[in-house]
Amino acid sequence: MTGGRNLPARERRSWEAWLGDSKTPASPPRLAQQLDALLRAGPEPQVRNGALARLSKRLRQAQPGPVYYDRIERTPVGALWVAVSDKGLVAVEFETPEREFRRRVERRLRAPAVRAERPTVKARRQMLEYLQGRRQSFELPVDLRDLTPFQQSVLRAALAVPRGHVSTYGQIARRIGRPGAARAVGQALGNNPVPIVVPCHRVLGSDGSLHGYSGGRGIKTKAWLLQLEGAQLTPA
Amino acid sequence: MPALDVEALVREYARPIHAYLWRLTGDAQVAEDCLQDTFLRAVRAAASGTQVAQPRAWLYAVATNSARDHARKASRRLQREQLLDSDLVDRSDAPPEAAARSDQLRRVADAVRRLPPKQRAALLMRKYQELDYDEVAAALDCSPATARANVYQALRRLRAWLSDEEEA
Repeated sequence: MTGGRNLPARERRSWEAWLGDSKTPASPPRLAQQLDALLRAGPEPQVRNGALARLSKRLRQAQPGPVYYDRIERTPVGALWVAVSDKGLVAVEFETPEREFRRRVERRLRAPAVRAERPTVKARRQMLEYLQGRRQSFELPVDLRDLTPFQQSVLRAALAVPRGHVSTYGQIARRIGRPGAARAVGQALGNNPVPIVVPCHRVLGSDGSLHGYSGGRGIKTKAWLLQLEGAQLTPA
Repeated sequence: MPALDVEALVREYARPIHAYLWRLTGDAQVAEDCLQDTFLRAVRAAASGTQVAQPRAWLYAVATNSARDHARKASRRLQREQLLDSDLVDRSDAPPEAAARSDQLRRVADAVRRLPPKQRAALLMRKYQELDYDEVAAALDCSPATARANVYQALRRLRAWLSDEEEA
């Protein structure tokens, strides 16, 4: 299919030359000069610069800022990684290779993760104080934007279990109005991206067993945290 | 295939895409809105790890679609407004008119605006944005032969519409 089929051959050649479709020189059709005059005109510089400046601003707002992370070398439960966004704490992980942790955070939040001391200092300090028994509660916002509404409601319910107390998966399920969802609650807590701060360790099996804990040394770490908090191991 | 690097795309293509949209839509505000839509789409595509083989053609495709959507919304709005008010929206500040200093140029401007959207987009991309036919084809989601045909059909139409005046 040749587009210029219905144009006379001579005129087609001149359009081809004008468009750069052919190397054969030919004088452009008269209409071409008018089209050039009309369409070569671009936006006025002030229109263009305004549009480009507003574009940059809009993109800055839309793009997720970087996430900062750092390591807490020595805590009673081993080394920990913490990561924070501009909105709050996004990740706490027990001993993991740095690359693995960084990649997981970057994939979850779709933002670059940068290792940095200063932005993470508050989170690291509070975490260490808590684990050393010098702090009763966290004053850290958590940023759970990448989680589903269900996961968020489960973690918020877990956050409401006070220090020194325990709850069960079934109780959390009822508290969020999904009484049949104990198993899904267990799963959401098992994937808690900010353990210790969102105290999923305070949630036990319905029989009061420790059930499981995905961080640190598993159930031993869960038991250690509950002991640190002086928990009575009977669900309220 | 690489994921999109939005910063690099903005650096390299924000200006030509803006000029393209400005020419395509003939309206500075619509061009700016479409420019933002286009690069916000790029941000979302980059965030979801979408792989793009021809970033430039991809941007032109998104920009062209965005302009088309705007035109549809505007024509619906215009229809509603015309029901309320028989006065047409004053478009005297539309950019092509700013360049059209003579009646003749104004007639060419009107003719270009009357082109079917796909032909207008193909002509602008090929001639004024200097895309090759493979890229125009990728942007318009058609074959390179069809992209080329669209460009020539645009010229044929313009010529047919304007030849009477030329001969006169």
